[in-house]
Formats: sequence, C-alpha cells, structure tokens
Amino acid sequence: MTALIETVEQAKGNPEFLNALTALLFQMADDDFILAYRGSEWLGLAPHIEEDVAFSSMSQDTMGHAVLFYELLEDLGVGRADDLAQLRDPQDFRNALLVERPNGTGHYVENPRYDWAYAVVRWYFYGLFKQARLEALSNSSFKPLVLVSQKMMKEQRYHVMHWQVWIAQLANSNEEARTRITNAVDRVWEDLGSLFAYGSHGAEFVKQGLIESEDALKQRFEEKAKKAFAMCNFDWKGLPQAPAQTGRDGQHTQDLIDAVNTLSEVYRLDPSAAW
Amino acid sequence: MSQDKAKTPFDVYEVFSQRSSTSPFIHQFSLLAPNHEVAMSMARENFLRRDNCVNLWVVKRDDVYVLPPEERESLERLDNKAYRETKGYGDLQSKWRAHRERYEAQHGPVKKEV
Repeated sequence: MTALIETVEQAKGNPEFLNALTALLFQMADDDFILAYRGSEWLGLAPHIEEDVAFSSMSQDTMGHAVLFYELLEDLGVGRADDLAQLRDPQDFRNALLVERPNGTGHYVENPRYDWAYAVVRWYFYGLFKQARLEALSNSSFKPLVLVSQKMMKEQRYHVMHWQVWIAQLANSNEEARTRITNAVDRVWEDLGSLFAYGSHGAEFVKQGLIESEDALKQRFEEKAKKAFAMCNFDWKGLPQAPAQTGRDGQHTQDLIDAVNTLSEVYRLDPSAAW
Repeated sequence: MSQDKAKTPFDVYEVFSQRSSTSPFIHQFSLLAPNHEVAMSMARENFLRRDNCVNLWVVKRDDVYVLPPEERESLERLDNKAYRETKGYGDLQSKWRAHRERYEAQHGPVKKEV
C-alpha cells in the first residue's frame, strides 16, 4: 500500500498525491458546506422551537466540518479557505447532487413550503453516508485526514442519533407521517448514488490509498441503511445506481447556482474585508 | 396509541445535566416534547451548547412530585436543635494546625500523609 504521508509538506512534494487529495477534499468540504447551507435555510421554519434550535446547531456543526476540510486545503496551498468556499463558480463545486436539492418549494423569505419529511430523510441518510465515509478514511495514507475524520466522528454520531429519533418516530406514527416519509425516501433514493460516486478522480483516490474503494464505502453504508430501514419497518430497497449527473465533476443544477450566489453575495462585495 | 386520531400532546420535561463525572446533576431548564426520546434528543442542543456535559437526565414534570405551597411550612423546625449544627467544630482546623506546629517545633517536620 502507499506509505503514510504525515505532513502537508510531504503531500505538497508529491504532485500526483496532491492532485488526488485536493479532489477528494473538495468533494467532502463541498458536501458538508452545501448541505449546511440548506440546513440554514430552515431557520425559523422547523416544526417546533426546540427542533429549530437543535437543527440550527447541527447545521453549524456541519459547516464547521466543511471549514476543517477547507482549512486542510488552505494548508496544502490550494487557496485561502474563505475564498475557496465563497469565490468559486458553481461549476467548480464538487458536492453530490443530493445535497444541492432545495428544501421544498417557495423561498425561505417569501412563502416557504419546505418538506420536513424530506429534511429528516435527507439529513439522516447523508449522516449515515458520512459516518461510512469517515470510517473509510480511517486508514487513509494522509495522516492529517485521519485525524480530522476521527475528530468529526464524535459530533457525527450525535447528529445521526438525532435524525434517527425523528425518522423512527415519524415512520412508526400515523398514516400521514408514514406516507410522507416513504415519499421522501423515494426522492432521496433517486439522488443517493451521487454520494458514493468518486467521479473521474476515483481511481487515483484508491491508488494513492486516500480512501477505501467505492464498493467498500457502499458496503459500509448498506449495513447502516439496512438497520435503519428495519427500524422504520420498511422493506429494504437496495442501493440505487449512480445517476448520470453526480455533481462530482462539476455537473450541477440551477438550484446550486442560486445557492452559491446567495451564500457568497456578502463575501463577494468585499473579499478583503476583515470579519 | 393508534386508535386515537387526536394529535399526541406535548408534555413538559425537565432537563438535568452533569458537568463532569464528579459533579452533581443540576437542573437546567424545561422543554416541550411528545416523549422521553425526543426530549433527550432536544436537551443537548437546547441547553448545553456552551457548557461541558458528561451526562443527561430528562424527567417528565408530571413525574416530579412538587411540595405544594401550603405544605412548605412543614419544612420549618423548632430552634432547639443546636446538637445538629456543626458550628461547634468550626475551629477544628486551626486547633489541629496549632498542635502540629508545636509538635514540629520539637520533633521536626512530619511526613505528609498521602
């Protein structure tokens, strides 16, 4: 296997390694960043106040995870973390399609008609996927990445527990709740394959020992997802194929363009301002 | 539960937390939730964002038997129980110190007990 690369200096000295590492870090950073942004759009709109506070807190945590990844990229010389997050064009983002989907119809300022079941299901299964990915990084050839993923594991565990309570309660509640959850699962399943896709750099990720293979990652996820389905008394749907567009190579929707424009609007007014 | 079409009511839950493994449980605040699981899930992010927390209790307020105001008088006592008070032992530490200093003046320093 690849020898362990212990420092950013060592990584910078190996162009092939650095390219693969950069591509992987952008995928992970952008996944958390965009999903956290979608979470922030729910502010003030969650079903009850305690959940609103808890959900906002978890969106902040997730944004914090994105920051950890962007800062790793900064240490590797790719650019300033804030610039990477807010000055790139939408087609340079490497998040999966699932996380850029809107929360529902309407706009969070005017007439939001967001779907709570979709929020629960999306965050829950993304959370399980993230746990699987962090586990798949535990033997990474890049030591700083191993340390960062171990740090995130603790918070991630709490997040997953939170959504697990919601999905179990709703799925095992009354007819309306169960139907909404079922529909949400169907919608999430359409995009689920985009999470596992490594994109065009995939072979390099595995060759450089950065992360386990796509198949190994899928297997980790499948174990967790099967338990989740059983807990909700659903029949296992199996893992879907990856969609044609995954987002991993920059193929995104108008929804992402709108999101990036909104979240970067203030920063772009004056990138040199001190915050 | 399934035969009732009415919405599940939310109850008040009291949240207690423990700052470290040697601290007592302290009452934080209360929240509304439909059951213990949800209450536990909400407790952490709603009250413990800034403090350390190693353990959590949630208790339905209905399960806390509160002494009614008219019975709180029953907590008062007669003031003839000085034998229960500890003020007679207040100068114990200084007495020990005085003895120790007198002893050490004669016999040299005493090895500190672990």
